Amino acid sequence: MATTVTGATFVDTLRGQRWRAFDRQLLLYVLLLVVFGAAMGFSADYTVESTPGALSQTVKTLIWAAIGLTLFFVAASIDYHWLQMLAAPIYLAVLGLLALTMLVGTNLFGAQMSITVAGLDFQFSEVSKVLMIVVLASFLAARGERIGRLSTIVGAGLLMAIPALLVFRQPDLGTALVFVAILVGMLFIAGASIGWLAILSGIVVAMAPLAIGALQDYQRQRLFCFLDPQTDPQGACYQLIQALNAVGSGGWFGQGLTAGRQNQLGYLPVQSTDFIFTVVAEELGFVGGIMLLGIFALLVWRVLAIGWSARDRLGMMVAGGLASLLVFQVMVNIGMVTGVMPVTGVPLPFVTYGGSSMISLLFGMGILQSVRMHAWKPTF
Amino acid sequence: MADPNEGRSDPPRSRARFVALYVVMALVFSGLGARLFQLQVVEGAQYAARASAARTVEIPIRSPRGLLFDREGRPLAVNIPSWTLYARPADLPARPSDRSRVLLRTADMAGLPVSTLEARLRAFSGSPFDLVPLARGISREAALLIGERADELVGISVDVEAVRQYLNEQGEADGALLSHVLGYTGPVSRDEYAELAAEGYLRDDSIGRDGVEASYEESLRGTYGEQLWERDASGRPVKVIETLAEPVAGRNLVLSIDARMQRVATDSLLWGLGVAGVAQGVTMVMNPQTGEILAMVSLPAYDNNKFAGGISQEDYAAYLEDPTLPLRNHAIADIYPPGSTFKLVTGIAALEDGVTTASQRWPTYGCYQIPDAPTGQCLFDWNHAGFGPLNMVQAYAKSSDTFFYQMAINVGLDRLGFWAGQLGFGERSGVQLPGESAGIVISRQWAQSQGRPDVFTGELAQAGIGQNVIAVTPLQLLNAYSALANGGRLMRPMIVRGEADATGTLLRAYAPEILRTLPVAEQNLQTMRIGARQVITTGHAYNIRDLRLPGALSGKTGTAEFGTPAADGSLPFHSWFVAWVPSVPGATDADLAIVTFSYAATVRGNVSLEVVKYFLQQWYKLDQDIRLDPRDFSLVAAN
Repeated sequence: MATTVTGATFVDTLRGQRWRAFDRQLLLYVLLLVVFGAAMGFSADYTVESTPGALSQTVKTLIWAAIGLTLFFVAASIDYHWLQMLAAPIYLAVLGLLALTMLVGTNLFGAQMSITVAGLDFQFSEVSKVLMIVVLASFLAARGERIGRLSTIVGAGLLMAIPALLVFRQPDLGTALVFVAILVGMLFIAGASIGWLAILSGIVVAMAPLAIGALQDYQRQRLFCFLDPQTDPQGACYQLIQALNAVGSGGWFGQGLTAGRQNQLGYLPVQSTDFIFTVVAEELGFVGGIMLLGIFALLVWRVLAIGWSARDRLGMMVAGGLASLLVFQVMVNIGMVTGVMPVTGVPLPFVTYGGSSMISLLFGMGILQSVRMHAWKPTF
Repeated sequence: MADPNEGRSDPPRSRARFVALYVVMALVFSGLGARLFQLQVVEGAQYAARASAARTVEIPIRSPRGLLFDREGRPLAVNIPSWTLYARPADLPARPSDRSRVLLRTADMAGLPVSTLEARLRAFSGSPFDLVPLARGISREAALLIGERADELVGISVDVEAVRQYLNEQGEADGALLSHVLGYTGPVSRDEYAELAAEGYLRDDSIGRDGVEASYEESLRGTYGEQLWERDASGRPVKVIETLAEPVAGRNLVLSIDARMQRVATDSLLWGLGVAGVAQGVTMVMNPQTGEILAMVSLPAYDNNKFAGGISQEDYAAYLEDPTLPLRNHAIADIYPPGSTFKLVTGIAALEDGVTTASQRWPTYGCYQIPDAPTGQCLFDWNHAGFGPLNMVQAYAKSSDTFFYQMAINVGLDRLGFWAGQLGFGERSGVQLPGESAGIVISRQWAQSQGRPDVFTGELAQAGIGQNVIAVTPLQLLNAYSALANGGRLMRPMIVRGEADATGTLLRAYAPEILRTLPVAEQNLQTMRIGARQVITTGHAYNIRDLRLPGALSGKTGTAEFGTPAADGSLPFHSWFVAWVPSVPGATDADLAIVTFSYAATVRGNVSLEVVKYFLQQWYKLDQDIRLDPRDFSLVAAN
């Protein structure tokens, strides 16, 4: 991996000039999403009897947001070129942690997706999404003039294949698909050969039946519910039917925060995690749902804008990866609860309850902020 | 200091590709927005309706079952709280070890073997969100204890529901006094539920069995209401959305029964059967004017409170295996030869059909030669010496068998059958109680069913004295004599007088119903009534004439042979006594008629007569006790 040494240091940043480039909109949209998520988590948690002494979901969300925002500012302050030096160790760490999760992971909804350290569940598959963006960005930046060659696609693909297979084996189909989306989005933005991309994508799509065959029965059933939820209304498709009922019940303005009947009566079994958007739709209605989509659209717009103005490919790639992640996860998550996408376990960024996702995404946004702040040559 | 621009590479960037990504995002997000618009705005109402339908459940509101009172307003059947232990399988701990710990603790608190609870749980086949009744009728203390420990006993709950309690004349729980009259309520069986569901019965509902509980089920049950509840995802009802229909309470009924009289009748019969060493018997009292049944005792009785609380297998099996048939109401469900009491029918038939006049005397015999039978084939009179010539009143009073053989033969088969039918034999009386039998009256069809063209003359003669091919229920016999006592109206026997308020005050009386007015001349009925009076004064009824009753007791005894002869050729027999109390001899103003039937009471005296005597002594509070021991005719009071 290339080692482009940069002169910008933490001390340099602290001098303050770079903070003038701080992208306040990026932070604003992120904060709006975090607040939205906390509010929905509060409502989803509203009628659930809490275990005495345990922190409520809302409080936990706010604690994670605080940790995440600290990381955001730390990452923003440091010139993002440290990524290039750390990409290899990060990659090894990702592989190690995902393998560790497979070995000692706690069982959550039938999938080994997290390990518990000091009472907190770390979902390394969530953390690995952002870390893999970093790894791929370094790899693509180092490709230099060779970016258009087939070897770029093959190399990036191989880099991504190992962690993708590890999460797929957990089994966590959703994260595996997010990896693929990140890979394709980043290659596309990086300038990889469209022709080769199309051919390889075609091959991957052609192999999809094989992947589907490798799924567990319950995953397969849930996957196909969206085609016709009535195939198994009491079983595999129960969640989807309840989700559709909840979304539809929202109408124009919703039933009001903490007043959604489907939500409060527990008809949405994982309402605070993957199905959080059903709570938004039921309680805040079409208007609330569109507002949330709008915030996501603004955020993605900012992320891509920062990528466009990045001073090198490394920064551009971080933005491309994050944008791909955001668009894909929003599409799959909301598409899932509105019955146009198959049901896979993909969280709604910043909104879905979960510390690993929240903290790692905020960290990723911090790196992006650094890309923004280091996009121009400071003049003294 | 390093140059901050060192390493800046300004890579080639494709505007087209960025734009393409923007376009992808725009398409994805507007697609999702459009889908939201479709789901929430266009089809929103539809989904909302579907969601609320899937989320709501119609829960029936049980109506309180109507109470039962006796004619004096004494409560006989009331509803009391009973605690039932439930489990909801879905809420029980999933780990087998936790689950059995919860069941073990529950069983311990309820004072039941844990195997019982586990068996009930295993036997249940419905939804895991349904409540499974584990034990009914647990103690109030256990119920409260389990209720307090609800958070430890996950998935276990206790609910209170109303069950029946049956009371005696003192208002004490006593299932034996009126078990056959009241019946009991019991759970709807799975097979019945298939049919009853359409009528609004619930899977764990109860329904009246036997007695008035069964025959007045519709009135007593009332109409269940219905509430629309919202339930949470685990199926637990959370809040009422609306009441779709209020429940209508079951009607309270006042029975024609007088519980105190029932007690007196029961005690009298128990004494008589006890003396005779038998177990089965009937005493019934009726108001001949209205057909109201004032007392209806069938022994042995059963304890209907055992059924109300959910009878155990052992108790139920014991009832079923008891050869004295405690579960059967012998007063209406079983038929017996009426013996000499049936001479009323033969007598009326002979008078009405002109076979004889009231004053015409007929020879009687020690043994009556059957016409058209070989010489020597004769039928004995109970008095093997014969009585000499007798008219109807005398023959009835002395109960001459050979007199009535001649009457029956001269009346003929068809007309004897006709008159039996007129007096209500061979058909159900229509009393509002389940399980009534029609009885058997001799007929040509009966003979043909035996493979013969006609009955034998001897059979016809024996039918004339209530033997052989005649079988009646005690109720039919009492009703026929009530028609004689009231001047010729055959009433439909009544067991329920009408509807009452919650305190037992009659609000709406049911009208007595005349089944038919007997097509019998008044003077012929009068002849039979005088005959029945003479049964008491000169005939066959021993010392009962000495009772200082406020009226002229009239009646008829009967002994009816049945079964297989003993070693000495004698047959066991049932004893009957039927009587009423008019103000003066022959009057039609009696308001009390009584019948007693003692099954297989094969002793020298008439046990039934002594039972009635004992009843009358007590009921009319006579300061005398002239009961005779039916085994040796000694005065009971003297012993």
